[in-house]
Amino acid sequence: MEEEKAVALSADALPFGAQPADMGPEIDTVPKMFLRGVERRSAQVILRQKAFGIWQSVGWETLGRIVREVGMGLVALGYAPGEVVSILSNTNREWVYADLGALCAAGVVNGIYPTDAPTQVEYLLADSASVFAFVEDEEQLDKVLEVRERLPALRKIIVFDMEGLRDLDDPQVMSLEALRALGAEHDAAHPDEWRRRIAVRRPEDLAILVYTSGTTGKPKGAMISHANIMATLAAYQASFPQDARDERMCFLPLCHIAERIGGEYHALYTGAVMNYVENPETVPENVREIAPTVFTAVPRVWEKFYSGVLIALRDSSRLQQWAYKAAIDIGRRVAALREARAPVPAGLRLAFWLARRLVLDNVRKAIGVHRARVLITGAAPISPDLVRWFMALGLEMLEVWGQTESCGAVTGNPKDGVKPGSIGIPMAPSEVRLSPEGELLVRGPGVFMGYLNQPEKTAETLKDGWLHTGDVGRVDAEGYFMISDRMKDIIITAGGKNVTPSEWENQLKFSPYITDAVVIGDKRPYLTALIMIDHENVEKYAQEHAIPFSNYASLCRRPEVQALIEGELGKVNQHFARVEQVKRFRLLETKLTAEDEELTPTMKLKRKLVNEKYRDLIESMYAREAA
Amino acid sequence: MAQSMLELANVESSYGPVQALRGVSLSVPEGRIVTVLGANGAGKSTILKTISGIIDPQKGQVKLRGVEIQGRAPDQVVRAGVVHVPEGREVFPLLSVEDNLRMGAYTRRDPDGVAQDLEAVFGYFPVLRERAQQEAGQLSGGQQQMLAIARALLAKPQLMLMDEPSLGLSPKLTKEIFEIIVRINRERGTTILLVEQNAHMALKIADWGYVLEVGRIVMEDSCARLAEKEDIREFYLGVKAEGVRGKRRWKKKKQWR
Repeated sequence: MEEEKAVALSADALPFGAQPADMGPEIDTVPKMFLRGVERRSAQVILRQKAFGIWQSVGWETLGRIVREVGMGLVALGYAPGEVVSILSNTNREWVYADLGALCAAGVVNGIYPTDAPTQVEYLLADSASVFAFVEDEEQLDKVLEVRERLPALRKIIVFDMEGLRDLDDPQVMSLEALRALGAEHDAAHPDEWRRRIAVRRPEDLAILVYTSGTTGKPKGAMISHANIMATLAAYQASFPQDARDERMCFLPLCHIAERIGGEYHALYTGAVMNYVENPETVPENVREIAPTVFTAVPRVWEKFYSGVLIALRDSSRLQQWAYKAAIDIGRRVAALREARAPVPAGLRLAFWLARRLVLDNVRKAIGVHRARVLITGAAPISPDLVRWFMALGLEMLEVWGQTESCGAVTGNPKDGVKPGSIGIPMAPSEVRLSPEGELLVRGPGVFMGYLNQPEKTAETLKDGWLHTGDVGRVDAEGYFMISDRMKDIIITAGGKNVTPSEWENQLKFSPYITDAVVIGDKRPYLTALIMIDHENVEKYAQEHAIPFSNYASLCRRPEVQALIEGELGKVNQHFARVEQVKRFRLLETKLTAEDEELTPTMKLKRKLVNEKYRDLIESMYAREAA
Repeated sequence: MAQSMLELANVESSYGPVQALRGVSLSVPEGRIVTVLGANGAGKSTILKTISGIIDPQKGQVKLRGVEIQGRAPDQVVRAGVVHVPEGREVFPLLSVEDNLRMGAYTRRDPDGVAQDLEAVFGYFPVLRERAQQEAGQLSGGQQQMLAIARALLAKPQLMLMDEPSLGLSPKLTKEIFEIIVRINRERGTTILLVEQNAHMALKIADWGYVLEVGRIVMEDSCARLAEKEDIREFYLGVKAEGVRGKRRWKKKKQWR
């Protein structure tokens, strides 16, 4: 019951909608917000990172000093206000140092995914006209060195981790350490410069560039202003209040708007502690160590947690399995009543209390969400059943919706009125409405400035102050929005039936054996799907059922595995009308990783690319009918 | 593909609480050389030990010509035609070379055949004839390896399991040993399952290869194609893309495709 107390406590301290006491209306840019944090919260811890197996804390005062050194280092190198720096690194504390250093020095920051190939890195550095590039390590440095000849604007490359580079003698490359030393020196000689720089940027000025993955054509750099960010933070704090007692886990890419705004900046705004994971692979262990109190993640992460529990359960004793089933059933009944906003009878409340004590709290501990006051999911649609499962564990899971161009979430499920399957209601002051075609339009202070260097794309997206999101959906009587799909992804079958593929795909992804799927069927007689299996779980299934296989491809080809997936597919098909059912499927026989072009950095299959790349495989699903 | 001499299906083996094989399935066609590559601790030797009956698997089947042999005692497996050439040779140091060889023929009841095979192995390894009366412990490492292979041949195996024959040998000797392995395979039709860290040599002489990583097979293909795979080149053959700086320390992520 400890968690309940924590909820009550912070609700008392922070009434719904309250802004952090030390962040007044005069705080209208990120640099000012940061400076205020350093001045008012110097004694508190703001971030931790695990290094050599130990979580190391960094306080506001230290962070303030490091950021100042980095920023003044850039100034010493001739950094002019408004110039762009790019950061090419996994999510870690150095990312934050570079980000804040450049922003406070009146600059603009662009993030590049560490999984990007050198050609993509070149495009992003060139398009953003970056003058400095911060790179994580040797591996990322090599990407920039490979293309630097074609980047005349690039002046210096700054490396976070010099391991393996001690002997490197390159006038264009320096370490973060050297930059900080330079900055400290320059600061001593020009003590007033720092504050002057912090005051330079106006709210309406460009703060960050966020490139959208661009399933079609080149990536587009969305321009986000300081005002966009500050307005979004105020709205987040109103909907999902947090404060210095909260622990967050930072692990999603910081180049993505979700972690940047909802993770880094919201934490700086409120003083919540950011805990940076060791690397993307250690997330499952790190969650348990951190036990975040506020936890934002993408559906894929929640799916992983869920299937992890299901798989572990299969290895447990019959008694444990029975106990889990009994407990989760009670949880589901409570969650269903809460969903219906009906009172929970005292008997059921008692049963749920017992179920939590005996079973569900252990499930929560096994995942690492036992202290979580709130789970926020976004950036991709989530299966409503998955939301209900987390609710059955007694957790608050709130789906939000937004995009890069709206500077993150603009709708969200309110805590006391969650509707699984909906993206919730607009978060004031943003307005959301439907166009006659059913497209969601957004207006508000978070709506971005436009795309860098692409006025025609900007004009297509921003019309009369309304952001055209490209998502189609509907709204119910209570003002909750439901997304059916991306406008351009809607399938019109040969029979003329409109089908929204992601509804089906999201249901299928709920299966522990399936990671992702793409439904195909535009101008086709029936629907088919390309499916990516969950390697670990299917492997385990094969081993338990004595299905021989060697590598990934041979696992996919086993008839028993095909039958397993067909069974999962059949379960999903039941929920859909005949024309919306998937008739055939193929498994992707290559294990895809974030480095592959088929996946977005958030590990979703790119529909268009998959459609083209696997054309033959797709045709094979329609071949018999043609013959 | 020729008929399978040996089939492993979902084999799991462990040493106490440590699971070394986490579900291995592989197939060795008759008359071929098949290799299993893998780093230290991947479970390569465990595969061989499980086949030869030194370890009993917790799960899965080992089939020799379609007959399940998992869990049988090692001597029965030898009688069924499978001989294990263990890692580190394991010759009997105090016995003479000839007695070592005769120990290999312990299960046989055809003195004529044994005499013939003895001649044959002296043909493969002339140095063993010269040293026939010397104690095996006095042989050099390379000669002991030859003796271990010769001893195995005297059991007249249909299938030889070879555990790192190149271990501790000079490149020249390694080359010689591998040439003889190929000759044994070609001339006597002996099927060979070869476990190796020397991927270079193994891929050259074997027909089919499996890559084992922490107790699971992650890759299988013909050796010619395996040798072309990027991950094999980088992690097993030591061929690296040079990169712009001329030196590169960071490692790619293994993808096994």
